[in-house]
Amino acid sequence: MTTESPTTEIAPTQSRPRPARSVLIAQAAFLLLGLYVLYGSLELGLWTTLGPGAGLFPFAMGAVLTLMSLIWVVQEQHAPSTPREEVELSQIAAVIGSLLVLATVLPFLGFQIALLLFLMYHLRIRARLGWVKSLIISVAGSVGVFYLFTLGLKVSLPVASIPPFSLIGL
Amino acid sequence: MDVLNDLMGGFATALTWQNLLFAFIGCLLGTMIGVLPGIGPVAGVALLIPLTLNMDATGSIIMLCAIFYGTTYGGTITSVLLNTPGEAASAVTTFDGYAMTKLGRAGAALTIAAVGSFVGGSIATVGLVAAAKPLGELGLLVGPPEFFALVTVGITLLVALAGRSIVRALISGSLGLLIAMVGIDPVAGAPRFTFGSERLLDGVSFVAVIVGVFGLSEILAYRAGKTPDAIHAPNLRSLLPNRTEWRRSAPAMARGTGIGFGLGLIPGMTGSVSSLLSYGAERKFSRYRSELGHGAVEGVAGPETANNAHANGALIPLFTLGIPASPTIAVLMGAFLQQGLTPGPTLFAENSEIAWAIIASLFIGNVLLIILNVPLVGLWTSILKVPYPILAALILLFMVIGAYTIHFTVFDVFVMIAFGVLGLAMRHLDIPLAPMVLTLVLGPLMERSLRESLEISQGSFEVFYTRPITATLLVIALVIVCSPLLKLRKPKVLANDDPES
Repeated sequence: MTTESPTTEIAPTQSRPRPARSVLIAQAAFLLLGLYVLYGSLELGLWTTLGPGAGLFPFAMGAVLTLMSLIWVVQEQHAPSTPREEVELSQIAAVIGSLLVLATVLPFLGFQIALLLFLMYHLRIRARLGWVKSLIISVAGSVGVFYLFTLGLKVSLPVASIPPFSLIGL
Repeated sequence: MDVLNDLMGGFATALTWQNLLFAFIGCLLGTMIGVLPGIGPVAGVALLIPLTLNMDATGSIIMLCAIFYGTTYGGTITSVLLNTPGEAASAVTTFDGYAMTKLGRAGAALTIAAVGSFVGGSIATVGLVAAAKPLGELGLLVGPPEFFALVTVGITLLVALAGRSIVRALISGSLGLLIAMVGIDPVAGAPRFTFGSERLLDGVSFVAVIVGVFGLSEILAYRAGKTPDAIHAPNLRSLLPNRTEWRRSAPAMARGTGIGFGLGLIPGMTGSVSSLLSYGAERKFSRYRSELGHGAVEGVAGPETANNAHANGALIPLFTLGIPASPTIAVLMGAFLQQGLTPGPTLFAENSEIAWAIIASLFIGNVLLIILNVPLVGLWTSILKVPYPILAALILLFMVIGAYTIHFTVFDVFVMIAFGVLGLAMRHLDIPLAPMVLTLVLGPLMERSLRESLEISQGSFEVFYTRPITATLLVIALVIVCSPLLKLRKPKVLANDDPES
């Protein structure tokens, strides 16, 4: 892809710092997205007999995205930036993982059980809070919040849809 | 006296006990969001939008506005006591605010900040009252081409000021616009970029996107081991500033009000720009400038006043032209739209009662906040003592509820998670988040005005350079975008990262 051309420019012997891998991946992703949008907007039609078509504005935006990603690629080859400080992978994995599980089981287990387990995981296992404190906060955050929202704020939250729990209306 | 009558009518609505309660809850929540480290004003307001959907329009907007300016108060507390800004606009307050804490004048700094915020906020609201009618009438003259040009200027200004690289800011801006494109095209009715999914026909919910990008990514980016210093809540007696401190902060507050209010009117300026420039003004004009950085009270009074004058002043372009000036206001605008209110010149014509009630509530909110903040400092500092993992778990709980209740489906929870990862990646790559929020909310409006303009001119782009106002604005936007090429440097005070992004 177009990413290749600038690399040849900085071939000279000086050992310049090279762009970080995460930056390269991001640049490729933005470029691909931009090209996809350009293609998609052409499909939608830039212009109709009535005037501007559905694809005109996305086309312009896809063009901006592609162009800027290209400039970024060039900039990065000349003067690689240092990405921000490293992130903590365990934190990310735990939060994303638990949220994905939560969102998946929410319709089945209902808000109260799912959130009770979610909060217990974060408080008892991750934050290493004592059992009593963890339980109190988790119950308040699941059962308590459920009733606060459904009764107090009239905002309905999901209830369990599978037998043992749905029978008792959790 | 028409305006006064309208305003009095607004007060009558805003002073009913429900609306007072909403304003009170909003102020409380806003201050808390400002104090909490893991959640800023943008995500905070976005999170609470779904909860207000079942409330009446006036009450919900009053509450969200109160949250919005409450955060500017709350952010000060951590800046002064902990040397870590709770939210971006109060970052400069750390210089002198924390220095004052080390000198044992934390209480005085907090009181001066609260009073300054009150002064700035109230004067800016008076400005809003005065400007609402005339500007609203002017706003009615703004056609689609002018609207498009104004929005473009706002976005480019934010892009130019956010972050270090204009290229990356533009990437962020175009991403926001592209996310806004997903769904049914507003003019022709064709589905765009829905990948065949029925759920995406309505578009990607902006609340889920913002909560993910701003809120969740913040929690994901947290690294353990950054234990804050011990916090000491100042006792009540030390809360009172002495006479010299009052005298010295008055001129700083006056300057801060001017700067904040003036910049608040310009689309694309964020509160942090105001507080930074106000600090710059103190460094130039204050009689005690040599003490700045070593605990000078001006360094707290000026930026804090500017910050709140900005927050209230920034509501003027929203109310009169329908253009949000900063990311937080863009989210607020999203709330207006969800309630079926269209901010802009027609707001005063069609929903004048609601508009005036909201304006009146701004005065009430400013009073509430000063009452809440000064004596309750102890309560706010005790929130800071709660260990971060517990706070994070509870914030996650509310994020899930917020995302779920937009359309009552877990699909939006997944959307939020996905955008949380995107936000984390953007933070890691130093791509500013602020332009994305603004374009996300403004995208549909921008596209509509572009296409309407082209329909007026029957498909000719002439309409953008034959109308003088439109042409001037677009030239300004072009100059702003090209400023790095033209070697125009941004002011030195703004050179560091705009932390609101």
